Amino acid sequence: MAMEAQETKRGKAQLKTSSTAEYFAKNLQQVGFSSPTKAVLTTLKEAFDNSLDACEENDILPMIRVEVEKQGKGSTKNTDLIYISVQDNGPGISFKELPMVFGEYLASSKFGRGRCTRGQQGIGISAATTWAMQTAAQGVKVTTKTKGQKKATQCRIEIDLKNNKGLMKDKVDIDWAPAHGTRVEFWIDGRVQLNGEAGLIAFLKSNVLVNPHLSLKYKLMDDAEVTVDRVSDKVPHIPDATAPHPHTMKLGEFMGHGKLYGNIQVREWLQTAFSRMTNNVFEDLVKNHGTPKKLFDLKMNDIKEVDFKNLFAAIQTAELPPPSTGSVLAIGEEGLARSILRLGDIDYFSVVSRKPAICDFKPVQVEVAIARMTSRNDGVNEEDESSEVIRFANRVPLQFDKASCAIMKGVTSVNWKVYGLKQARNTPPSGPYIIAVSVVSPFIKFKNASKETIDASDELVEEIRRTLMQAGQRLSRHLRKEHKEAMLESKMQHIEQFAPILVEGLVRLTESSQERRELAHKGLLKILGREAKDAKDELAEADRKLEAHLTQKRKQLGAAYDIVMGREEDDEDHSRSEVRVGRKGGKPNTKLKKGVSETVDVILPDNVKKKAKDNKKPGKPAPVAGVKEAKKELASKKAVSAPKAVADAIPTKGKKGKVKGKGKAKPADPAAPKVNAKAAKAKEEPKAKVKAAPKKAAAKPAPKAKKAPAKKAEPKAKAKAKKKKTSGKGRAK
Amino acid sequence: MKSMRGKVLQSDIPALSQELCERLLRDLERAKRPVIEATKCSLDNSIYNHKVGFLTPGDKRIRTELNVASVKKMSRAIFMLEILLRNIETGAVNTKRELYYISKGEVKHSKYLKPIDFQDQDESDGIIDFICEIIECYREELNCYANDRGGQTYSQQLIVEETLSDGGRAVIDLSQLGTSPFQPKNRPQNLTLRAKSKIDYCLIVESEGTANTLVANGFTKRNNCIVVGAQGVPSNAVRGWLKRIQDQLKIPLYFFGDLDAYTMQNIFRTLKAGSAASLIRNSDYSAPEVRFLGVLPEDIARFDLNDYPVQENDAQEGRALKKAKDALENDPFFRDKRNKGLSDILRWLLEHKRRCEQQAFFTVDPRDPTMPEKIIVEKIRKGNYV
Repeated sequence: MAMEAQETKRGKAQLKTSSTAEYFAKNLQQVGFSSPTKAVLTTLKEAFDNSLDACEENDILPMIRVEVEKQGKGSTKNTDLIYISVQDNGPGISFKELPMVFGEYLASSKFGRGRCTRGQQGIGISAATTWAMQTAAQGVKVTTKTKGQKKATQCRIEIDLKNNKGLMKDKVDIDWAPAHGTRVEFWIDGRVQLNGEAGLIAFLKSNVLVNPHLSLKYKLMDDAEVTVDRVSDKVPHIPDATAPHPHTMKLGEFMGHGKLYGNIQVREWLQTAFSRMTNNVFEDLVKNHGTPKKLFDLKMNDIKEVDFKNLFAAIQTAELPPPSTGSVLAIGEEGLARSILRLGDIDYFSVVSRKPAICDFKPVQVEVAIARMTSRNDGVNEEDESSEVIRFANRVPLQFDKASCAIMKGVTSVNWKVYGLKQARNTPPSGPYIIAVSVVSPFIKFKNASKETIDASDELVEEIRRTLMQAGQRLSRHLRKEHKEAMLESKMQHIEQFAPILVEGLVRLTESSQERRELAHKGLLKILGREAKDAKDELAEADRKLEAHLTQKRKQLGAAYDIVMGREEDDEDHSRSEVRVGRKGGKPNTKLKKGVSETVDVILPDNVKKKAKDNKKPGKPAPVAGVKEAKKELASKKAVSAPKAVADAIPTKGKKGKVKGKGKAKPADPAAPKVNAKAAKAKEEPKAKVKAAPKKAAAKPAPKAKKAPAKKAEPKAKAKAKKKKTSGKGRAK
Repeated sequence: MKSMRGKVLQSDIPALSQELCERLLRDLERAKRPVIEATKCSLDNSIYNHKVGFLTPGDKRIRTELNVASVKKMSRAIFMLEILLRNIETGAVNTKRELYYISKGEVKHSKYLKPIDFQDQDESDGIIDFICEIIECYREELNCYANDRGGQTYSQQLIVEETLSDGGRAVIDLSQLGTSPFQPKNRPQNLTLRAKSKIDYCLIVESEGTANTLVANGFTKRNNCIVVGAQGVPSNAVRGWLKRIQDQLKIPLYFFGDLDAYTMQNIFRTLKAGSAASLIRNSDYSAPEVRFLGVLPEDIARFDLNDYPVQENDAQEGRALKKAKDALENDPFFRDKRNKGLSDILRWLLEHKRRCEQQAFFTVDPRDPTMPEKIIVEKIRKGNYV
């Protein structure tokens, strides 16, 4: 249609085309700049993701430094002028490419490649530059140095919105200490939110969790600088993209794809341009779907449009093996297990990494880490507080619009009660838990351009649900043991509390003698003691089974962490990958290929107990200390920075950093230490330990403390004693 | 423990308690697990025999064995039993609420009892009921009385003689009470009835207000009868009182109430045959001769009464319908063929899902305040009841 100016009532309306940059400049809310608070987070996120991607692409262990500070009032109402700086040790960017990278929309080395990189389209960082230009009238300041360069290039990049081109300004060569790397600096209008689910700390903490190879330093506003050391020396290898699966294509794409390979034979084209086009498929097409055999021998230039259409229809109806899952990059259970230790004081956790599966004809891998924190919020009623769900898509934390996200739907669809967790209907479980769910796929279906929510297709939600269920099963093993411990504790309490009342009452009513009273009391204790013994035996059995299982699979992750990997035999989910199904001779489920429950990591607080037993040293660390020790050991191995900084630096939701060495006057989480204390009691630790408990514990005895206060206060006292011990071996004595 | 079948009177309770405690103590001395048995008071252990006329317990027993789980309950039961025995000894009476506070007071003054402290009245009520089940007595025999509710009685012919706890006697001529009704206490066993002139029948009205209206409009002046207001589900006192009227005066009893599932199965059934929860005391607390005068389903058409559909969305009404369905299948009272007329009414209610209130009789002739009386008298005369 000819583009002509049309006469309207309001005058002449001219038809014109706009550049991509103009579009995004007018619609920045679509890419995460919908409020001053989100603008700060999105800017940081885009720069941070680019840094990580650049390092990983070039096989460099990332070291990133982040700085965010307020530098006065913003130009717009109710905003501040925020300085955001992200510096990495990546390969650096050639100065010729700088305008393209930071000043041109849809200029990306990753677009449509089908790889599991964080960035995909080349929109984010340009949008950040646009926001900086719009609000602070200056583009992004970039300092970069590639390997071999003597001096670093420093310049300012702005965007020519009309032409969607980057403009380089104020270019200078400067001396810069790093051998290579890039630093980007933004001055934008915004507001800083540090805490909460959408806060900067949550963003950085989440990145720490899914990037075990990341070494991070950050300084946010007036807070002290925080250092987080890497726990893995392996740079994740991002798998190459695989050839497209024919079922993922539409007719137009299919025909367009045919023009990319020259005048080769149709058979050759199908085999090289697509995945899963095996000889069996060709036979099937001929036999069952009416495709003439000679069509495959024709040259691409010789086939007609109708043949293309028929071939496409035949392939769509044919049964093909599902797409390859080789292009999916997982964090890996080992990495998750190591990273999760950096989140804070963890009681125990489980990690499940399923094998890649096919959801909606796209390869997807779901990984889950569930950790129970010994103290998450320093507050009360943690048991009733909803657990914290951290979502990731291609290792990028998702911090907004969680209600409609596939991950959230997966979490709420699981019946957590069967695993011993509390849960109200259609909500995540409650309690001091962190549930991290990572979805990795080269083709994640986001709901919007700002990549805040994953589309909740039934198949993906189901895959997430299954992974969560497996993780829940691991957790339930611990909770079951705790339940038995609680039962034993309750039985012991019952015996001690009610036996004298019952006997006294009977003696009074029958006006019996003192002799009969004593005899009856002994008899009653005997009766109830037998039950307590049974309960003790049950607990010991549960304890033994758990420990045996964990011990058997130890060492896979390194002894430093006291982490054990293994697969449960009693998993509810026996779904296996398509390979397994095929081997069994069964027909693969083409609708949803389930991943294998691969490996599971469970931190082993009880290992520490066992060690304590083995060494016959009552002063050995308690379960919680096990995790701390692991951290300590890790830190000493790396010898980069003190673990204290790590523990302090990455507080969980609302948690203040805990200063190591001081211990805690009273554990914020009443359940966990109590249970640990119960466990300790069940293990019949020497009574001397009780005496070593802080006096404060004895000052607040349990309800049954009337007759023997010291003994009643034992659980809490022990818990506190253990807490103290975590901060220094000599303290408990 | 063997069942202590037969009526347990207050005078038997101290000895029975002593025996129970002695046995428990003896078992404990031998490190033998004591077991307490009690009659299972539930519908699945209810037997209905039309010759007996009320629900009686079957053979099912509840065994409570002393173990870690039950030691608290048993300790509490012995503790509460001690309080109740003290009441019997001194003649003091209490409500359940008062007993709850008495037990709180005991705990307050003896700290070692703290573990058995009741958190709320439901807990102490449950223990009192447990004691009744163990000893198989009425709680009134333990001097634990419910609040007086219902049973307001009007008559020009009835004379009541009451044996007082101090051995004295009181004679009450109901015709001398003016507009005030006579209300029986929780131990109607102490009452003896006689008629100074012939009494034709006793009319029990579900709504106390309607009973009062009927009397105020001259029902008892024009008819030689007794009018009793039930005030909803009849309490023990009302049930025991009507049993006395039935047995001592030997007059027919008619129940006049709403036509709905709740009235039929909760109010009328409890009045006529007792309840499953009180199987052991139904013999004294039910009046098997009572007949259902209405409102009957056919009355709606006959008198063109205002009825209306049951609100199935209403939780209470929905529950009543569900219970009615269950009653037809499992309640031995409604399953007995002698009570077919009553079960037919339940079926009609389930099928039509409509209800009609007793006050609907006032719609027949809104300007004649005695119209309900006329209808009731006519129904009784014509034998129009179930």
